[in-house]
Amino acid sequence: MKDRKFGKEEVDVAVVGLGAAGSVLLCDLAEAGLRVVGIEAGPFWDPQNDFASDELHAKTLAWNDTRLSTGQDPLQLGSNNSGRGVGGGTVHFTGVFYRFHPSDFKVRTLDGVAEDWPISYADLEPFYAKIEQDIKVSGPREFPWGAFHGPYPYPEREPISGNAQVFRKGCEALGIKSTVAPLAILSAPYAGRPPCTNRGFCNQGCMPNAKFSTLIHHIPRALKAGAEVLSDCMATRILVNKGGLVTGVEFNHNGRNYQQKAKIVVLSAFVIETPRLLLNSACSQFPDGLANSSGLVGKYIMPHSGHDVYARFEEEIRLYKGTPVLAVSQDFYETDQSRGFVRGYSLNAHGSRPVGLARLAALNAGIWGKQLRELMLEWNHYARITLVGEVLPALSNCVTLSDEKDEYGLPRAQVSFSYGENDRKLIAHGIEKCKEILTAAGGQPALVIPDSAHLMGGCRMGNDPQTSVVNRFCQSHDIPNLYICDASVFVTSGGANPTETVMAIASRTAGHIASLA
Amino acid sequence: MESMYPGYNVLDLQDEWDPHTREIVNRRLGPFTFKLLSPWEQAMIKAVAEHLICDGREEILEWVAFHVDEQLAKPFGEAQRKPGVPPQKELVRRGLKTLDLWAKKHFSEAFLKLDASRQLQLISSFQQGSFHKDTGWETDVQKEFFKKVLGLVTEAYYSHPWVWSEIGYGGPAYPRGYVRIELGITDPWEPRRVGTNEGS
Ligand SMILES: Cc1cc2nc3c(=O)[nH]c(=O)nc-3n(C[C@H](O)[C@H](O)[C@H](O)COP(=O)(O)OP(=O)(O)OC[C@H]3O[C@@H](n4cnc5c(N)ncnc54)[C@H](O)[C@@H]3O)c2cc1C
Ligand code: SF4
Repeated sequence: MKDRKFGKEEVDVAVVGLGAAGSVLLCDLAEAGLRVVGIEAGPFWDPQNDFASDELHAKTLAWNDTRLSTGQDPLQLGSNNSGRGVGGGTVHFTGVFYRFHPSDFKVRTLDGVAEDWPISYADLEPFYAKIEQDIKVSGPREFPWGAFHGPYPYPEREPISGNAQVFRKGCEALGIKSTVAPLAILSAPYAGRPPCTNRGFCNQGCMPNAKFSTLIHHIPRALKAGAEVLSDCMATRILVNKGGLVTGVEFNHNGRNYQQKAKIVVLSAFVIETPRLLLNSACSQFPDGLANSSGLVGKYIMPHSGHDVYARFEEEIRLYKGTPVLAVSQDFYETDQSRGFVRGYSLNAHGSRPVGLARLAALNAGIWGKQLRELMLEWNHYARITLVGEVLPALSNCVTLSDEKDEYGLPRAQVSFSYGENDRKLIAHGIEKCKEILTAAGGQPALVIPDSAHLMGGCRMGNDPQTSVVNRFCQSHDIPNLYICDASVFVTSGGANPTETVMAIASRTAGHIASLA
Repeated sequence: MESMYPGYNVLDLQDEWDPHTREIVNRRLGPFTFKLLSPWEQAMIKAVAEHLICDGREEILEWVAFHVDEQLAKPFGEAQRKPGVPPQKELVRRGLKTLDLWAKKHFSEAFLKLDASRQLQLISSFQQGSFHKDTGWETDVQKEFFKKVLGLVTEAYYSHPWVWSEIGYGGPAYPRGYVRIELGITDPWEPRRVGTNEGS
């Protein structure tokens, strides 16, 4: 740890984890003039030399350290949801960039289940707008759902892939509204970055830098504004003084422990590592872990149900071409009591590459041997729609500490997940809709592969310290100078890809912290 | 079943790939230096893999076994595991031994000596976890062994460029991306089914 900028000083803010949320915080705080340091467990990626046009190689972008996964529907972790390295999950995310709907923030009031958020859509609206402008989100002129109807800063992508065309054709035949996807991917040049070349490797890291990631947008800005970034530094403990305030972060770099002193610590280490770090930082002042007087650290985690529905077409679709998601529908997003369940989902026309398809067909649908080989020899004839289904929060879906230790001697996380009844009904409805759309487009529904995507919750926000971990500004109820700000503060999951909301919350939190200084 | 794209070879396009990707893909053609698995374990993986991927080409099986070796030799990379299931290195190595023990018990022959249908029968019982009593392995652990090997073998197989060619996958695409992405049209270098889409 030579050449440290703030090594000997107490910084204003130390941010742990530089993914979607952490990088936005680091950037906004540095630009507001605060002295900030970001501590990231993984590498500082160089897209040109570290990424490749290859699925197997892209596994290196994920958090692959072992977690114990249990419950009736154990989650697949690793590249399915957890990024590792500067940029976090945004390095290998698909770039689908949705706002949540106003209803998402008041599910208890509207539907009598889950909880309301302590913030409303209106609280996040200015931050959604700012982020879309900042990174030049491309999208349709008119977006028919939710509270934001466009236009987006950059024009919608054109042309769209065969898979997206088939999806839109099926929707049109059934009177279902669809649009080109809003994407954190350039449709025209911006800041020295080229528009997308449709290579389709968004989940493997974008080599031309057409896709936004916080690695290429917020981190360079943060560095320019004077922030310090520590990569390959795994935070192992949050330090607390006798008065019950946090004083800094202990981290491990190349097998040695270091400390960074800070006036404020923000945890942005995602849904599993944030609770794990809080629990692993238990001390005599806080024997059950930090920020945990409610006992809810690690509780109420939620994935999205992410089932894939495939249909076979006479003509070739070629799922590998183009940005993976180029067309979407949110016609089934809001609660419709006649369906027999509450809340809803988005449908994304979703491309694929061979390893992704074959592996999930084998592991999640039990297709192997001759059957798999035959499927794959014809894979160019398949179209696919992916569900992004809201999952309701349940106390029993949680992150806890296991008895097993990792290489730092820290207990590994155990992640438990089971779908509830509402979730299952929603999934069944979504699968049926996908089949109808694909059939209306001329396809033969052939295969449903159960899957899940994204993770949210585990340190939810709320006004009541007894039923939530952080307040409406992501400040922990128990320790005033400890903030938690990443996907873990979500109260409900919504039925849309979550990253724009993660980033909007981060930007709002940064503004709040800067206003205190 | 035959490839619909005879004559297409994705490796012919490699001059268009970035050097990092080119190096990664070409490594899959060998030669391979194993770090962990013994020759017998390598042979077992190949024998099992042949059933899982339905392909017996030695060059490809060699790469598949090498990928398994590489993954198991690493201290990380498991991503998740069910409680009570041994870490992947131990799970796979013990699983292979158990498979052989079972072959000997039921058919009085080493697994590698059995005919294909008997091998397949044993592999399928592992998938169902139906070996419980005799092996001392819980149903769950057997199923996890099967899934672990299936996942590793499948991801390796569908990363082999020969297989990409056969299924008509365009392969790596940087710096060159795609221009013609809509239905019914292809870029000139893409695989084409015989007699269809002339790339108009
Ligand atoms: C394949 C895939 C596709 C996706 N596609 C989309 C999409 O199209 N649209 C969308 O909205 N969302 C998508 N997502 C989800 C998106 O990636 C996440 O919502 C988002 O990254 C969450 O942001 P975060 O800041 O909470 O966590 P992350 O971005 O995961 O960042 C957490 C960071 O913390 C670091 N960290 C963890 N523990 C420690 C520690 N102890 N010390 C130091 N650092 C630590 C990690 O290395 C990581 O870099 C996708 C995700 C995946 C995996
Ligand atoms: S499809 Fe576009 S955004 Fe995605 S990786 Fe390729 S160039 Fe980047």
